[in-house]
Amino acid sequence: MARMGMVFDLKACIGCNACVVACKQENSLPDGVFFTKTLSEEYGVFPLAKRVYIPTICNHCEDAPCEKVCPSGATHTREDGIVMVDDDKCIGCNSCAVACPYDQRTQMDAEKFLKGLYGTGEITPFEEQGYGRYTPGTVTKCDFCSQRVDVGLDPACVVTCPTNARIFGDLDDPQSAPSKMIRERHGRQPLPEKNTKPKVYYVN
Amino acid sequence: MSIENKVFSGDTLKVGYRFQRHWDNSMAYAFFCAELGAGLYFVSMLLGSMIGMIAGLVVVSTGKPYFHLAHMGVPGKSWRAMLRPDRSWISRGLWALAGMVAFSVLYLLCLAFGEQFGIRPDSALLWVLQILSGAFTLAVMVYQGFAMSHSSAIAIWSSAIMPMASLLYSLVVGVAVVRVLLPAPQAAALTGSLELLLLGLAVMHLMLLHSGWHGSPGARTSIELLLQTLYAKWFWGAVVAAGIVLPALLLWFAPSSAAVTVIVAVGILAGFMAWRILIFKIGVYEPIMSMNPFRSANT
Repeated sequence: MARMGMVFDLKACIGCNACVVACKQENSLPDGVFFTKTLSEEYGVFPLAKRVYIPTICNHCEDAPCEKVCPSGATHTREDGIVMVDDDKCIGCNSCAVACPYDQRTQMDAEKFLKGLYGTGEITPFEEQGYGRYTPGTVTKCDFCSQRVDVGLDPACVVTCPTNARIFGDLDDPQSAPSKMIRERHGRQPLPEKNTKPKVYYVN
Repeated sequence: MSIENKVFSGDTLKVGYRFQRHWDNSMAYAFFCAELGAGLYFVSMLLGSMIGMIAGLVVVSTGKPYFHLAHMGVPGKSWRAMLRPDRSWISRGLWALAGMVAFSVLYLLCLAFGEQFGIRPDSALLWVLQILSGAFTLAVMVYQGFAMSHSSAIAIWSSAIMPMASLLYSLVVGVAVVRVLLPAPQAAALTGSLELLLLGLAVMHLMLLHSGWHGSPGARTSIELLLQTLYAKWFWGAVVAAGIVLPALLLWFAPSSAAVTVIVAVGILAGFMAWRILIFKIGVYEPIMSMNPFRSANT
């Protein structure tokens, strides 16, 4: 069985946030909710100042702490390694949110759906068709666009990235693009000391 | 490295520490009610105080569920929290709470009206009910600490001190409040126990400060937040001064009176409430990673 994962090429990421917009569109995310973020970090002083971009996403950990603490069984791992949240089972207790070392969980407060994308209370037809997939009050996160993966497509953020900074594929397949990249460019996982075994790697 | 040099990203898109904001004050109040109610019930049961047992049971069976439901995103499905006791401390806690309420109500009913139905005070049934309600109450007193320490995300919580703190605070508030409810001679007999428990509380706080300060960057940041920011006055003023030092001084030096007993209990409750809120507020997530070659592990 496949073990889906992602690699972020930090040298390639230019911080354009196209992935963030694509994710919000694909998943109809309300205002203030992000399944992926591009963080930035600045260091040094002029003229040697530098800014780097660090994309973040749910790491779909093999030893997912969010799954372990979920009291209702809403968080579960699919056979292909994608960590999912079952809306019907989630009670919105947020225990997964405090258990995730990467702070990748968001509660879908009812107000978020009422405010609309522009914060005016006006819901566009696009939002109207998309919001139906969420249950207000539940806690959600990135699922690698499982609806796309199921039909053989890459996640929306990967397809949109103009610099190929996001590479998605089967980490169990040594010939897959992410496996090769991890091997050749010494991919590292975020916060490895937390022992969660993320399936998201960073190369530089 | 002081707290001023650390990067707190908040809701911005910067690399840095992020505050725990998922468990808010509602959860702190729920934890407070559970530990207060369970501690009061447990101590009252050991001392045979019916009014203390009833008060503890009322606090734990009303306050805790109320604040949990207020916090929950989908309260209508809260029963589902019982489904995974094999892996989740929240689930185990809910079972413990249900067990505590069920067996405690039965125990209290048998104590109050048992003789009318032929249940004598020394009967095996009462003894079994007491053991069961005591065991479930102990689980309620301690499980919240395990729920916090189970998570490695918030470094300051990820410590064996959390369940110990839950148990200790539960016993301290239980003894402090039951002293108010008991007649003066019985309350005075508990002075030595409360002094010992307060000493234990002080040692527990020192252990937490020490282990956090010398622990991971996240744990150290939490301790710095506790000692170097606006939380410091609440920690020193409410948790330490009102919650430990003042009660200890009154117990040692003030002549025993009802007013002193009440002041001691109020001080301890205030300190406990402040502690429950602060421990949620100082929780931080560590930066996911840093590409800054000049950044040390503690920034």
